[in-house]
Amino acid sequence: MKVAEKRLRQLGNRMLQELKRGNSPYIEIPVRALGNVYFDSERRLLQLGEKSGRRYFLNLAHAKKFMQTLLVASYCLELIQKGKHASLRDVYYALKRNLPNSKEVTFQDQSESNPVIEDLEVSLNLLREELHISADRKGYLIGNIVLRERVVDETFEIDASQLGTGGWGIPSNVEEIEFLDIQADYVLVIETGAMFERLAEERFWKKNNCLMVATKGQPSRGTRRLIHRLYYEANLPVYVFTDGDPYGWYIYSVIKQGSINLAYLSEKLGTPDAKFLGVTMSDVDKYNLHGQVHKLKEGDIKRAKELKDYPWFKNEEWQREINLMLEKKIRIEQQAFSSKSLEYVAEVYLPEKIEKEDFLP
Amino acid sequence: MALADELFREFRSMSVSEFFRKNAAMLGYTGRIRSLTTIVHEGVTNAIDAGEECGKLPNVYIRIENLGDGGRYRITIEDNASGIPEKYIPEVFGKMLAGSKAHRNMQSRGQQGLGISGAVLFCQTSSGKPVRVISSTGEKGIIAEVMIDVEKNKGKVSKKEEFDPKGWMGTRVEMEAKGVSYNRSKYGAFNYLRLTSLANPHVQIELIEPDGTKVLFERVTEELPKPPKEVKPHPYGITADDLLRLAREKGGERKSLKTILVKELSRFSDKRVRELKEKMALILLSRKLETQIEDLDKYLSEIQDEEEKRRIKKIYSGFLSQAAKILRKEARYLNWEEADLIVNAFSRMKLLAPPTEGLSPIGEENISRTMKAVLNPEFVACVTRPPKTYRGGIPFQVEVGIAYGGQVDEEGIEVFRFANRTPLLFDRGGCAITEAVKSIDWKRYGIDPNKDKVALLVNIVSVHIPYTSTGKQAIADVPEISKEIRLAVMEVARKLMRYVKRKKREMEKEAKMKALLKYVPEVAKAMSRLTGASEEEIETELSELISKKYLSSEDFSEEEREEAIKKEEKVILISNGGGLDEGSRKEAETTRE
Repeated sequence: MKVAEKRLRQLGNRMLQELKRGNSPYIEIPVRALGNVYFDSERRLLQLGEKSGRRYFLNLAHAKKFMQTLLVASYCLELIQKGKHASLRDVYYALKRNLPNSKEVTFQDQSESNPVIEDLEVSLNLLREELHISADRKGYLIGNIVLRERVVDETFEIDASQLGTGGWGIPSNVEEIEFLDIQADYVLVIETGAMFERLAEERFWKKNNCLMVATKGQPSRGTRRLIHRLYYEANLPVYVFTDGDPYGWYIYSVIKQGSINLAYLSEKLGTPDAKFLGVTMSDVDKYNLHGQVHKLKEGDIKRAKELKDYPWFKNEEWQREINLMLEKKIRIEQQAFSSKSLEYVAEVYLPEKIEKEDFLP
Repeated sequence: MALADELFREFRSMSVSEFFRKNAAMLGYTGRIRSLTTIVHEGVTNAIDAGEECGKLPNVYIRIENLGDGGRYRITIEDNASGIPEKYIPEVFGKMLAGSKAHRNMQSRGQQGLGISGAVLFCQTSSGKPVRVISSTGEKGIIAEVMIDVEKNKGKVSKKEEFDPKGWMGTRVEMEAKGVSYNRSKYGAFNYLRLTSLANPHVQIELIEPDGTKVLFERVTEELPKPPKEVKPHPYGITADDLLRLAREKGGERKSLKTILVKELSRFSDKRVRELKEKMALILLSRKLETQIEDLDKYLSEIQDEEEKRRIKKIYSGFLSQAAKILRKEARYLNWEEADLIVNAFSRMKLLAPPTEGLSPIGEENISRTMKAVLNPEFVACVTRPPKTYRGGIPFQVEVGIAYGGQVDEEGIEVFRFANRTPLLFDRGGCAITEAVKSIDWKRYGIDPNKDKVALLVNIVSVHIPYTSTGKQAIADVPEISKEIRLAVMEVARKLMRYVKRKKREMEKEAKMKALLKYVPEVAKAMSRLTGASEEEIETELSELISKKYLSSEDFSEEEREEAIKKEEKVILISNGGGLDEGSRKEAETTRE
């Protein structure tokens, strides 16, 4: 029996026991909020605190969510037993129905089922992929790597160097992906799809012997898990290349030590040794990009101030960068280098940075 | 001055009957509906009083027939009391101010002895027909036709015959009136009888409506109200009319007015006669000088001119001897002006409060029973407040019942007003009861004064009800009475609040239970899938869990709950102070010389 199946059954049996004792069945769920998240400076990861709440059937304020959690739990068990995977939306539709003799529905919309799935993950200490629930493919991988992917009862071998400029779409569940062969020195993680394509066209990965991963904004769990595995299983250093703005920098932060919302998964998703390549505020001076900057907006300034206060940004280099940003009130995009030439980023900026190890921690 | 004198002379020269014939509206004969209601009221009032006086549970039968001919109606009212001896029939039905009740000074429905004779008068002037009275004292039955000789203020029996009553006892009055009308509106006879039944749980009322419908307002208690004790009238409660009548009735055998006052009034002794004289003289002096004088010495001390001072002193001593003369004269020759002067003087004296045993309230239990029977509500609460006094000496008592929900007809707060158990249907706006109820902040008691169905019964019990007018349909705004009404209404409102809140809590509980129960099937199905246990069993256990949580505190029965509330309320009552309030108690003590 799989771990997930075992834990789901345990959950059910514990509740049944409570019921037999004449007590209200409940589900224990660790609190997933900023107040219950802390930065473990030793492991350099965001961690979930001790706080947890109980969701009781008999508590009217909890009852509906209790029911929803159970519905998701029993549906996951079914998925596991059938060996099928469902998307978040599939789960919503599979469980949405009218309650008997009532106008009320089990789930009003997907915004009700998504958090319940996360609740179940934390409660069982399992990834949603382990519960056979998947999210949309979002990130891309390209480079000298051969993978094996299992689809129900078939397997496929994928050579990510033979996929043109598109690369391989990273699935939401990368647990069963096997790395068959890797010929690369490092992993370059790129924020925007456009920059990924730019570099793919220049065949940057081939010329510099690396793997390129596009996160396309905030990275999906599958992408983060893949980066994590590439670092830990293939021992590849990870360099992150984002826009020079608070949003891009936070993407780096999420890849490195996990996110607040998924703090309970940090150990599985975080890559604390990842390095930040750029774009930095210092690059603006270094590469003379003064004409290509944009003004920070209100929200950007607020976000920058928040970053400044996060404990994991509290080191000399980052504080200097953030202060520079707040001083100049500017941001810079990855593609600003195109002002020099299309190839500049691939031929000058990136190789120079990597060679000089001009990184931020 | 001269005009008023003339008017009074005219008044005195007119017989009472004639005066009131010209002023039928004062007696309540105004409008078609109201006129018929007033006739029914006078007849029913007499019938109930008669029953109570002879110690019988009153059965009152009323039949209203429409004779056509532009609002010609026959009203028949029958009681089961002891009947009226033949020689009293013209007195009872034919003479104004002749009733035996007015000068007995006890709480009773009719107070002025105008009632039934007024109805007779109205009937005879509107339809031209005499009133048929059929009465039996048991052995002998009399059928008589009575009319009033308006000029002489005397009853006249036009036809009379005897019959064998075969054991029947009671009185049946058949009256015919024109220009009246019957319906079931708020102001109609039907509602009047319904409300009479509400305030008189010991009375059985049977009504035959013009279309033949028979309505029975059933008796809900076999207990006769405690007969009100007769107490001597208190000087504060007496009117000039009352004093005149008293002087005439008791003033035979050359008794002086002073003797009558001391003997027939309560709390008025020989020692106070001098003070009375002084007050009378002071009133006369005030009138003469056209200024209000409260204290003679003080008034004189403010006058510089010695001549003027002497002049006023002289006038005053003249009035003093005039007052002495009035009090010395034979009581039966007292005139209205003199009586008015004495009553005025009384009101300026500090006198001891009268005893309160003349009062007979309906009682909390009876109000509760009757409100349940007549209104069929969901909840009833009642309070009979301890007796208090107003105007420094007139005892009164307030009782209030509140009915909520159920069959209570109208949304909002409906007020049924009663004075000595007699419904007050008219002049609602000018009544102290209406005002007192209006002044309550109902929202504070969890009651929506526009949406909730609430009926209030307010009964004012007193030897002298302070009406706003002769129509006797509205209670005057006397501060002491208004305060008591408010306190009583607030007390029942509190009881209702407790009920409404509890009900709301229970409804919320039920809603919560329902809300939880609807999740049971889905939860059971999911739990069964996760554990492999029987879905049905889990469903039962979950449902039981819910019931256990919400029904465990439900072991109070309806009666226990009411009992508990009553106990609580008693505590509140005691802490509020029973009997006289602090002010009246102090006043009573200081006036005791």
